[in-house]
Amino acid sequence: MSAKLPPGLQLEKVDDRIMTLNVGPQHPGSGHMRIIIKVDGDYIVHTDPDPGYVHRGEEKMAEYRNYITNIPHLERPVIHDSCNILYPYCLGIEELLGLEVPERAKYLRVIAAELNRCVYIQYWLAIYGIFLGHSTMFMWPTGDRELLIDLLEKMTGARVTHAYFVPGGIRNDVPPNFEDVCLRQVNYFEKRIKEYADVFYDNPILISRTRDTGVLSREDAIKLGTTGSVLRASGVDFDIRKKEPYDVYDELDFQSPTLKEGDSYARSKIPWLDMFESCRIIRDALKKMPKSGSVRVKLKPKPKGGDTEIYRRVESGRGALGMYIVSKGKPQPYRLKISVPSFRNLIAMPHLLTGEKLGNMPAVYWSLNYWPVEADR
Amino acid sequence: MYVTARENKKNEGKVVLKMSSDENNTNVEKTEEAPPVPEFENPLANLILKKFPSATIAFANPDRTRVNVSKEEIIQTASFIRDELHFDHAESVSGVDYPDEKQIEVVYHLGSYDDPSLSKQIMILATRVPREDNPHPGNDTTKLSSLYEIFPSVAFHERECFEMLGVYFEGNPDNRRLLLPEDWADIPPLRKDFDIKGR
Amino acid sequence: MSVIAPKFRLGYLIKGVIDNIFWIILLVTLIGIPIVQIVLIYIDFPIIDGEIWNPFRVLDALTHPERALPLVVSFMQSDLFKVVAFPGFGFAALIAAATIFIERKMLAKLQLRVGPFYCGKVEGILQLMADGLKLISKEIIIPAKADKPIFWAAPVLFAATAGAFVALIPVAPGWVVADIDLGLLAVFAVIGFFPIITILSAWSSNSKFPFIGGIRALHQMVSFEIPLILSVLGIVMLTGTLNLAEIVQSQANFPWIIFMPVGAVVFFITILAELERIPFDLPEAESEIVAGWLTEFSGMMYGLVQLGTYLKLYAFAGLFVVLFLGGWNGPDIVPPFPAEIVTDGITILPGALTVEIPGLPLLAHEMINGTIWFMLKTIGVILVILLPRGVFPRIRIDMLLHIGWYKLIALSFVNIFIALALVYGGVIGPGGIL
Repeated sequence: MSAKLPPGLQLEKVDDRIMTLNVGPQHPGSGHMRIIIKVDGDYIVHTDPDPGYVHRGEEKMAEYRNYITNIPHLERPVIHDSCNILYPYCLGIEELLGLEVPERAKYLRVIAAELNRCVYIQYWLAIYGIFLGHSTMFMWPTGDRELLIDLLEKMTGARVTHAYFVPGGIRNDVPPNFEDVCLRQVNYFEKRIKEYADVFYDNPILISRTRDTGVLSREDAIKLGTTGSVLRASGVDFDIRKKEPYDVYDELDFQSPTLKEGDSYARSKIPWLDMFESCRIIRDALKKMPKSGSVRVKLKPKPKGGDTEIYRRVESGRGALGMYIVSKGKPQPYRLKISVPSFRNLIAMPHLLTGEKLGNMPAVYWSLNYWPVEADR
Repeated sequence: MYVTARENKKNEGKVVLKMSSDENNTNVEKTEEAPPVPEFENPLANLILKKFPSATIAFANPDRTRVNVSKEEIIQTASFIRDELHFDHAESVSGVDYPDEKQIEVVYHLGSYDDPSLSKQIMILATRVPREDNPHPGNDTTKLSSLYEIFPSVAFHERECFEMLGVYFEGNPDNRRLLLPEDWADIPPLRKDFDIKGR
Repeated sequence: MSVIAPKFRLGYLIKGVIDNIFWIILLVTLIGIPIVQIVLIYIDFPIIDGEIWNPFRVLDALTHPERALPLVVSFMQSDLFKVVAFPGFGFAALIAAATIFIERKMLAKLQLRVGPFYCGKVEGILQLMADGLKLISKEIIIPAKADKPIFWAAPVLFAATAGAFVALIPVAPGWVVADIDLGLLAVFAVIGFFPIITILSAWSSNSKFPFIGGIRALHQMVSFEIPLILSVLGIVMLTGTLNLAEIVQSQANFPWIIFMPVGAVVFFITILAELERIPFDLPEAESEIVAGWLTEFSGMMYGLVQLGTYLKLYAFAGLFVVLFLGGWNGPDIVPPFPAEIVTDGITILPGALTVEIPGLPLLAHEMINGTIWFMLKTIGVILVILLPRGVFPRIRIDMLLHIGWYKLIALSFVNIFIALALVYGGVIGPGGIL
């Protein structure tokens, strides 16, 4: 081949034994990313994740927009978990501007964040189901998710892209009968997700497929800096809501589920257990929430931060989500780095997939709680 | 440009923090025995200052400590932070471009899973590399030693930093493009002189 | 301005009608009449009641029902009817389509959704037809480096082989397309074609994912054919015949599943694997290998493979019914045809007008009864084959091969020993108690 290739590209060597598979970006089992897999027979001998197909330059965009106008586009990387990705940003801006959030807004934030976590996990679980060929597990979470989406629509006015959190509180108060409706729907939702055990988590075929596949030991999980469900499935009890409580999480009654096995099954079970805890948190927050009061601190039109830097993190549906905001006294952030859990968990993918069977690829890949759009930002 | 340590101490003076790193590191001396080292409420900062006098503590909040080191010293400092202070993973690696000072800052946010007493702590390790106006990523002086050997979790973050700001990490086994297209031929996009159209 | 026919003129309408009439007359004259002539010249006409039926007599008979019926009866005994309509292709496709519609609705209910709903007004009953029409209208795309003749031939071969399989299944006494003495052996021979076709199509498409899918299908089919054959041997021992119709007749008193449940279970699991149904749909596992060996098929090529799959589904379910569930045997549920109509004719006005219709009854009583029983059992088996889709995920290839080679083969040997014990114990078989 004499044709000159652009820098960074190289021709693949043809091998008699090793076959290279491009899993993605146009593959039903990849999401918006590509995994370059080399297989020897049925075994994966090399994995090279290649994200970036939906890179939108959120960090660059944020440098050009005001602190307030950054809100709607910052939730785009993961619209199913949009409250949680805005959470660290709002916390950071509040710390930057020295705002004190009203008590009722804190509780409503927690409720919205937990509802959003459930919405995200349901979506994730649906895809995990269809990745394993379990079509019922695709339909059930997608349907039950609508319950919570309706609730969030009542709260925020939008089904998925809420833009609900603003620095200094939340955008608007909830409608008058929200608490009753919320309690009822969350109770029903909890009853529904209990049934997933019958059809999915106790299914012998599912257990035999995911048990002992893609085992991530505790040491490796720590060394690779994984987070969220991947970390907790490997036996590290690390939940930002517990370890570094923000807003009113320290006053609420919940646990962070932890499993020791570190295999795909444990990783797929942790988010499901998380949803029960979310239901508990929501019920507790509804009980302890002040029944009335202001929900938002008025801001100046173009708030300016000081000459400082902030790093805040929250526990999103996938794990610790941090925002690093460098302020130089301007209305725009000088630099905004979003440290997303998907990107941090991505490093575990080559570690886990290499050496596995090709049939285990979807089970291991999606158990990483990986959201390609978020990783690309 | 950094908030100095003294000012910061004034701001955060009311916060009292009990750290247990002394129990974990029995070989580390008490900080009072080193008078020239400025004292912080946060014992981690004191430990680092004692070991590396040339490092600067930009601020030491109860749960965030920022250490600025020179780029030659970063490997030793990171090893010290991992081995003696028990930080075991990197949460993010961000690059910040300072075109006026002709420098690019690389900020490592380090955290700890293993040590429950440190779980609130984020050790912010920052260093600066020279910046060139006409970058040739990988082939110019914008180079830094990779922390891959010390914190393997930085691997993809450093790849991202390389393509976004052009900081080449020597020692990282994989310095290919990650998020950008393979045939990206413009300057690294997170530098300040890369302008978005219409802004 | 109205939306419909903004420029309506009566003249346009008349012109359109006349145009249509002209084209119809032209086409009939140029194509229809030559066809009729060819038919009249070259086709042999049936001999009924010692007379040759010439075309004029056929046309004459069509106007008189009592003369048309013998013609219909004669047509229904012809090979063409058997192949195209009743025990053959049409019947199989109809049952498969109806069952798949039921399966889609049931699966939808299981998954808290409505399923097909709009197409055909009533609960989406025409959805499958609409899907077929859509597939016909799609462009067929062939990969650039494909081995084109084999790639074209593979779907046709697949559907044809499935059709050959259907031809072997006896539906009612005497109603089978190919009534051969070694029927069961023929079934094994036909099944043996499927892996070859699969691997041919996978290889000829010159693409990676179809290749992996084809290899998987090959592994799966080959390793599950052995337990499939072994699990049926017990019945052959007990009945002493390979003819499927005779096997059905041997179950007049009790179906074989009573004596060999182990064989039935093994056979059922192997047909799930042969049909590539969930949980054994590895060759089409979409999250791993896109659509497996079907990846490069588009348009009606895919439609043909799907048609073949449905025919295969019907045929395997029918085989299960024939071998284990007693085939067409069942209690009488159809009232017998009133005999006085055959002998005396229909009395319209007592004493004045009696119409005698020769050729009745159109269908034998045991044939109707047997067909209904066969259909009921087959649809039940098809539903049991399809519904695991709602509760099981897909398994892995190594687990599948492990099941095939270790467990199912062992179980089918257990089944053979049961059969041997029954024969030597004198329970069944020549000189047995039953």
